[in-house]
Amino acid sequence: MRGRTALVIGLTVVIAVVIQTTLFGRLRVVTPDLVMLIGILLALTRVRTEAVLGVAFLSGLIMDLLGASLIGLRAVVYTTVAFIAIRTKERAELGRVTIALWAGALTLIGVVLILLIGTLFGQAVLLGEGAVSVMILVPLANVAVAALLAPTFVRLVDRDRTALRYP
Amino acid sequence: MLTSKQSDRALPTFISLLVIGVLLMTFDVRLEGGGVVGVLRSGTQAIVSPMQRIAAFGVTPIANALDSLSNVASLREQNAALSAQLAESQASLVAVQDDLAKLDLLEQIYDLETDGAELGQTVANVIGSVDAALIIDKGISNGVLIGQPVIDTNGYVIGTVKSASSGSATVLPITASRDGLTVLVGSQTGTLVTRPFSSDLGLEMDLDVFDAREPVLAGDRVLTSAASTDYPAGLPVGEVLEDASPESTSLTTSVRPFVDPETLRFVVVLAWPPDPVSAATDDTIPETTETTIAEDATTTTTTPEDDG
Repeated sequence: MRGRTALVIGLTVVIAVVIQTTLFGRLRVVTPDLVMLIGILLALTRVRTEAVLGVAFLSGLIMDLLGASLIGLRAVVYTTVAFIAIRTKERAELGRVTIALWAGALTLIGVVLILLIGTLFGQAVLLGEGAVSVMILVPLANVAVAALLAPTFVRLVDRDRTALRYP
Repeated sequence: MLTSKQSDRALPTFISLLVIGVLLMTFDVRLEGGGVVGVLRSGTQAIVSPMQRIAAFGVTPIANALDSLSNVASLREQNAALSAQLAESQASLVAVQDDLAKLDLLEQIYDLETDGAELGQTVANVIGSVDAALIIDKGISNGVLIGQPVIDTNGYVIGTVKSASSGSATVLPITASRDGLTVLVGSQTGTLVTRPFSSDLGLEMDLDVFDAREPVLAGDRVLTSAASTDYPAGLPVGEVLEDASPESTSLTTSVRPFVDPETLRFVVVLAWPPDPVSAATDDTIPETTETTIAEDATTTTTTPEDDG
């Protein structure tokens, strides 16, 4: 039971990292941050909060290690976003649209934090050009992905077919 | 205890992870990407790169199709521009062939030998990217090492290898590097630095010439300088966008790099310097070294062969 949940989460993170660094690393128009989104959506599941934070931290660390930016930058940001998600999830669980908007708002916070902390540590150029477009496109893309996949993801992790079903 | 009742240990866990994250960032800054950090990067790449390679087989056609769809609107204009460029290039090619023929003739007349030492090259596919860094499918097992210069198939400078595992490597483009690049504009040496948060409309970098003697003009080509420790001299980097005249003894202007890293599908990694060991031996290590030990007042003489 627990092992299966861990396996599902682990596999999801690995798939998200691979898709993020290959497909979405190549496309300039469609640019969701899948790895950050997993940390956000995990807050909606019955997984323990410490585990959610741990998964967010580790997935951020993997992204840091695969890229050229400062190690720990994304780990800190993803953990912070996951923490805010844990604290605010009750406000989101009203419907599919609310969840998507909530995920988008949290992604916006994450992107701003990455740019802010990255700038403080002299990493602004590493994060690519077009900060304004990144702040708009990434949260919008995550809104769309969350609207499509959030209920399925939560049902898969919790093994509960009734999770996030709204009239 | 992965899926039990919600506990209220989120805050202590969050603070602990934040502290660990900040410590990691501090270590990375202090170690400048080397040491344990470099090993961690290589290890992670070694684990993830096989999956990225497999994914790239499916991803590449999708990415190309989507790119093509987004470019279809401007296809007609691009086609016309490329046709004009092709005609221009063919004319230039004929001129260059004439020059090469003259050069061959002169070399024969004066009995000159050309320098046959060409740099080793490794052609690699770009299989992904994280932030501004590119992930390529060649690594240490293919002769790709950290610090080697990377160019595109036209010979334009892209950047350097930031980290490498056995089967993949990460390339940091010059447009994302925090280190300035020493370049040559005309006869003047300058430093090319990145411009953070530049607009999406075009990649631009700042060129600073601190010992400016003459103005630089829009369209001037920017080449890597012999003073650069990261690149061989003479590689094209970009072109000057605006005229600039010296103010006091310095000038600053904008440069557009020839390469947009986001559009790259293939890169070429140069094995440069060609033979760093022998180069260092020839220039910096004397034939014999003398070591004097003060207490015993003895002198030992060693040769490079003795040192192994």
